[in-house]
Amino acid sequence: MTETEPPTTGQTVSTDSVDAVLDSLDGDDGLDGYNYAYLDEHTKREVRRSILKAIAIPGHQVPYASRPMPLARGWGTGGIQASLSILGPDDTFKVIDQGSDESVNAANIRRLASDTADVETTTDTTDADVIQTRHRIPEEVLTDDQILVLQVPITDALRKVDSSDAANRRRHAHKNYGKMWVHLYENVVEFGEINIAARYPTMVGGRYLMDPSPIPRWDVPKLDDADNLFVFAAGREARIYAVPPHTSVEPLAFEDRTFQVERFPDQSCQACGSTDTYLTEIETDDRDRQYVCNDTSFCLKRQDSEELPKDYHLDREGVDWGPGTPDDEKSATPEATVDSHGGDAE
Amino acid sequence: MGYVAVKAGEEIIERAADLFEKQRLDGEDETLSVDQIEGQLDRLTAQAMSEAGLYAPRLAALAVKQAQGDTVEAAFLLRAYRSTLERWDETVTADPSEMFATRRVSPAYKDVPGGQILGPTKDYTQRLLDFNLETDHEDDEPDDPTADWEVDETEPEQLTNVMEVLREEGLVHEPEHEFDGEPADTTRESVTHPVDRDEVLQELARGETGAVTALGYSALRGYGQVHPTLAEVRVGKLPVKIEHPYTDEEVRVTDIELSESEAVVPVYAKREDPQFAFGYGLTFGRNERKAIAMTILDASIQLDSESEPAENPEFVLDVVDGMDSFGFIEHLKLPHYVTFQSILDRIRGIRHRAGVGSAAGVDDEAKNGDEAENTERDDSEQTPMEINNDD
Repeated sequence: MTETEPPTTGQTVSTDSVDAVLDSLDGDDGLDGYNYAYLDEHTKREVRRSILKAIAIPGHQVPYASRPMPLARGWGTGGIQASLSILGPDDTFKVIDQGSDESVNAANIRRLASDTADVETTTDTTDADVIQTRHRIPEEVLTDDQILVLQVPITDALRKVDSSDAANRRRHAHKNYGKMWVHLYENVVEFGEINIAARYPTMVGGRYLMDPSPIPRWDVPKLDDADNLFVFAAGREARIYAVPPHTSVEPLAFEDRTFQVERFPDQSCQACGSTDTYLTEIETDDRDRQYVCNDTSFCLKRQDSEELPKDYHLDREGVDWGPGTPDDEKSATPEATVDSHGGDAE
Repeated sequence: MGYVAVKAGEEIIERAADLFEKQRLDGEDETLSVDQIEGQLDRLTAQAMSEAGLYAPRLAALAVKQAQGDTVEAAFLLRAYRSTLERWDETVTADPSEMFATRRVSPAYKDVPGGQILGPTKDYTQRLLDFNLETDHEDDEPDDPTADWEVDETEPEQLTNVMEVLREEGLVHEPEHEFDGEPADTTRESVTHPVDRDEVLQELARGETGAVTALGYSALRGYGQVHPTLAEVRVGKLPVKIEHPYTDEEVRVTDIELSESEAVVPVYAKREDPQFAFGYGLTFGRNERKAIAMTILDASIQLDSESEPAENPEFVLDVVDGMDSFGFIEHLKLPHYVTFQSILDRIRGIRHRAGVGSAAGVDDEAKNGDEAENTERDDSEQTPMEINNDD
């Protein structure tokens, strides 16, 4: 327990001296009166320990004492606790929300980090040491110097098939994922394909079923055998899990009903012309539907340099990084993970 | 393109916050002081303190003011502040029977040792709007309705706990063994199931008042077996003591106002020696409703059944926290276009295979708004299907 250790941080304010509280919160000079990177050192150490444990057991959910943050729960409080625990003053930090650096919630999180942890911020994926993201993995290839912190709303892929975490913990312990397989099979019978949109269940290191957070299926292949570390952090549900570099991550699928990423037939980005990036639709005022790149930072680069590869910043070429990159075919249709029992569903 | 495509994200945030602040300052009226909120709206501050798990009336009044009366938001401000404070010490375990009660009713007995004390309550009045309150602030000194009372200036007394009477008779089921060891602290260690009772009580004590009330009511309404008899409901001040760091003697450092409720439930654990099960509720400040509902939930959860929502500890603890539910419900306001694109891809693919719509949803026919609507209508008679998109 932290309180048995000598206090090293912060100032306490007696409950009746509101003036002192106001003074400490007031003014232009950032967050005086708060510890470096907002959280106290004991908390950050605990979060880092949980991250280390998560790295040691890829895909396994590690409980940690998620602190109340000055952001609402469900708005990135897990992500920001992980980010603040691993950021140092020399680091550069990038925050994206649904692919955009400019989203108001991303701006709010970025401001909390720059105010309290004194970090440089950037919108350029290749410049960032730590990237906190809500529901996207950037289009540009991440390197072994970078950590991607993903915000997680729902920690367990099995929640789809059973609401009880206690029951699901037993399933994970026994590697008993039969209920999920049945769910996917029923999907195929009913709809002819697995109809999970985002939050696609993945098997990590051949051992743990993992909820990759609501990233689109487009991004799931990027988790497999990546150079960078992925940290998944949930504030409300108080769990951290991780995919370390070069870990196998396989989406669950059947031999005859393979994993499919989102399809954008005959579409390209209205802004930069890309056909190998995740696009989202915009409904314009004159009812004209347009598609644009979701990763706004990379789209801006592509607008300057049309053919810019996703691995332009690396020494090597042809890096496999999800759909549209050289190993595309293999990663978009991974080998089946179990014997087929898809049957003649259609 | 609204709230993502703006370049000046930070400026927009500031302006939105300024507009919110202006709502409070709109109009000609004087600004409410923190003193007024603390002194006159203590039900609000009590609720904020109880849900925050921080006893600090003055800070709670500030939080209520800043949140413009939204108690969950106020509790959220307090919790976020509390989590930055260093913990210096733990109090000596408080014994609720040391409470100086200003109000105590025991529905179980007509009379009890120490008597029934109604204390300050509006429970037994007619709920009619009092239009005099519209203008009473214009009086120099509002009438004190108790001004003419003749009261002994005696200290409030400590009362015999009604549960003690039942316990002495052996009617109450006692735990198999005394609790030894450190109680858990669910603010420092996340809850995993199965849970111990100390964790249940902590989570319920911080639960959102409305959620605790609704779930407690569900058990009474028929979704459960617990219909308790309240041994007593008390409101009063409980001394808080710590061990003096130098002398090791217990010293009283402050009093906190609490609402406490205890109940017995005719659910018999043992056939050969039937005894009451019991439930317990305790909240910061004056909030009898929450204390009683918590009592029902504590008793229900001890039945540890999955057949009724209120008896399933995992269900109750998962949904009862105001910060969690408020945050996640309101997060739906955040942009979701990445996940929605993924969902659109699925539904269009499935519709295409079913012979309605096109694979991409952007072919020439579907582009026309009217026809797109028509195809959707065709679909409406089919079985509803679920596309998993929960985030």
